[in-house]
Amino acid sequence: MKKKQLALAIDLNVCVGCHACVTSCKQWNTSGSAGPLADKRPYDEDPTGTFFNRVQTYEVGEYPHTQVVHFPKSCLHCEDPPCVPVCPTGASYKRKEDGIVLVDYDKCIGCGYCSWACPWGVREMDEKNKVMTKCTLCVDRVYDEALPESERKPACVLACPTNARFFGDINDPASEIAQAIQENDGYQLMPEWETNPSNYYFSRKNKAYDAMTGKDEAAS
Amino acid sequence: MIKSLAHEMGMMGREHSIELPIAWTDVFGNEHKTVKGNPVAFHAMRGLAAHSNGFQSIRALSILMTLLGTIDVPGGFRHKAPYPKHIPPFPTPPNHPDAVQPNTPLAGSPLGWPASPDDLFVDDEGNPVRIDKGFSWEHPLSVHGLLHNVITNAWRGDPYHIDTLFIFMANLAWNSSMNTMQTRDMLKDKQANGEYKIPFIIVSDAFQSEMVEFADLVLPDTTYLERHDVMSMLDRPISEYDGPMDSVRIPILPPKGECRPFQEVIVELAGRLKLPVFMQADGQRKYKNYPDFILNYETEPGSGIGFLSGWRGRDGEKSMQGEPNPKQWEMYEKNNCYFHHKIPPEHQYLRNVNKGYLEWAKKLGFIKSVEPITIQLYSEVLQHFRLAAQGKRAGRKPPSHLRKRIETYFDPLPFYYEPLEVQLSDKNKYPLNAITQRPMAMYHSWDSQNAWLRQIHTHNYLFVNTKTASENGIKDDDWIWIESMHGKVRCMCRLTEAVEPGTVWTWNAIGKARGTWGLTNRANESTKGFLLNHLISEELPQQEGMGHLSNSDPVTGQAGWYDVRVRIYKADEETPKETWPQCESPKTPPGVKKRTGLWQQYFAGKGKFK
Repeated sequence: MKKKQLALAIDLNVCVGCHACVTSCKQWNTSGSAGPLADKRPYDEDPTGTFFNRVQTYEVGEYPHTQVVHFPKSCLHCEDPPCVPVCPTGASYKRKEDGIVLVDYDKCIGCGYCSWACPWGVREMDEKNKVMTKCTLCVDRVYDEALPESERKPACVLACPTNARFFGDINDPASEIAQAIQENDGYQLMPEWETNPSNYYFSRKNKAYDAMTGKDEAAS
Repeated sequence: MIKSLAHEMGMMGREHSIELPIAWTDVFGNEHKTVKGNPVAFHAMRGLAAHSNGFQSIRALSILMTLLGTIDVPGGFRHKAPYPKHIPPFPTPPNHPDAVQPNTPLAGSPLGWPASPDDLFVDDEGNPVRIDKGFSWEHPLSVHGLLHNVITNAWRGDPYHIDTLFIFMANLAWNSSMNTMQTRDMLKDKQANGEYKIPFIIVSDAFQSEMVEFADLVLPDTTYLERHDVMSMLDRPISEYDGPMDSVRIPILPPKGECRPFQEVIVELAGRLKLPVFMQADGQRKYKNYPDFILNYETEPGSGIGFLSGWRGRDGEKSMQGEPNPKQWEMYEKNNCYFHHKIPPEHQYLRNVNKGYLEWAKKLGFIKSVEPITIQLYSEVLQHFRLAAQGKRAGRKPPSHLRKRIETYFDPLPFYYEPLEVQLSDKNKYPLNAITQRPMAMYHSWDSQNAWLRQIHTHNYLFVNTKTASENGIKDDDWIWIESMHGKVRCMCRLTEAVEPGTVWTWNAIGKARGTWGLTNRANESTKGFLLNHLISEELPQQEGMGHLSNSDPVTGQAGWYDVRVRIYKADEETPKETWPQCESPKTPPGVKKRTGLWQQYFAGKGKFK
């Protein structure tokens, strides 16, 4: 059996771009092991801050055959994470026991090599505390036996109002996430970049859209 | 697109029927072995209701579903308790100025559903009694009121002047008003003798909103995190298809400073005014605060029906009906703040003619009788008003200038008409429709300026179809003017393929007035953010002999937010790269500290955010 790899799978059919995953992630992790996630100029011009998870919104196609795709993005916890070998202090590492990619903040010198190496742009330099931060898959939640088992999931997964987010061991064929990936033809981002991302996405399948664009001849 | 939708409705309605093995009995005593349905349902929400033809359009969609046979059947448009109700529902509003007497509580409900001209709240000449002209001949079925006209009506003294304007959680000096800049002027306008036209303004708000600047008295409110609340079965509960559901909020933080939940203010005022519901027989106050009121209020003495339907009875052993339970709040809290009562499957469908359901609903006061609830393809209520306008009905008649309007729009069968303002617009000069929507990240946030949400949307753009933009020589991020017959706005433009070429849109409530909401004068919300409200009028353009008519649906008085027509053009190179209009930054009120730090870091359980 393959090694345990915790990860997320995100269904782009049902994500409505509400950003509940973004704010719930910030809420949980600002009080987590990374220390507070700082916000710069919080009530002034051009506010900016550290977020482990962000939602990008894209338009696909030309009017009237347009779709708006909301695309939540956080660390993909790659099998071959290019951020790890470039770290000069060994602060950036991939856990053997569950494949989560983490930063040891005590070792991080904030040089930023890892963010140059990461092709996904999901590392977040905390400008205030001068360390590199990133999605931890809520490692401080998911093993916490003080929480009810149903809540031992990343904050973003618990917050999603449309259940677009799955969490678990993608290498355990019996897990909910592995089965969801199987059933929904889950795909990895940009396989040609050879990082082997652990997070999966489910692409849009839209009958009404197919009918509208003539893909589904029977209904047009 | 329309053909494909119609095809799908027809195919689904006819050829994909669903049959569930649920035996049920109809109101006429016929027994059915199964319940049948079709997977077709649609829901008209804010978009259609924000057009002045919204009522008849949404009625048409509802009738289409009725004809497809999909009302409250498996796969169809399902009812949620306390609905369905008979047409007309109860109660009716006061119907004459005599119903309102000084220092005397109203005898009945202030709100309701008028069923004929005799239920309108008008005087003997047919003139409006309410300050918003609700339930008058101008907007007879205005169950939601016309908040968007209150300030203009009070400022003009039509139908009368008021001495006090009391506003809770409506930002009427900004994004809750149409015609924002003139509304702000009305709030501070004076009569010839130097008195304010609206002399005294009370505002309850949890934040330093634009409206707070105009207040004579501010009642500092709390956020939802610091107060009790109910989503009650007596109002608009969160019910599910399989049965009633209601919910509460429980405070998780103590209120700050002298802030007080607005509900507490209302209960306190009701006690001081000695309103009968809030008094014991001996003249003592009945409720000590809002949580106590929610626990102990009953619709009739001993009815066992109150705001919350879960854990009633002395020990919380009863559902839906039962005497007040002193531990009800704690029991809701233990159940994640909601209560769900599932009704048996045989009561879950065709509730308008379902014998068991109707009997149960009557017992709980949702409805007054167990008669079948007949869906009116032809609306008798609307026809009463039309007959009055045609002079074919005894009783009240509309004032002569409104007769044609009532006759036209109170058609008992639904029809399409061009929205009222569009009928009066120069569509060649203003070729585009302009609409708004609330950003999803801020949907139910009063405080969209908070440090995290404002990083998601710091300012807005006008979204314009790529083709429309290029025809007007406009590129991405250009500064442009949007102009309607009522005014103009300068903003930045974003090209998009996700809107049709004849419509432009933007996020609402991102733009803020300079220096409000605790933000600095440089905040992007005021320098680059903008409101479309400046382009929209609260009144229709003047028509000969028609007086001042609200820009609203002529049946329901729902505001015509989405009826404005605009044109767009590029701003000159020399115009400032800043949105227009701009407001002067208000003076910082005493005791308010400006938050000017470069960094902010929250950490739960530590420091000042403990």
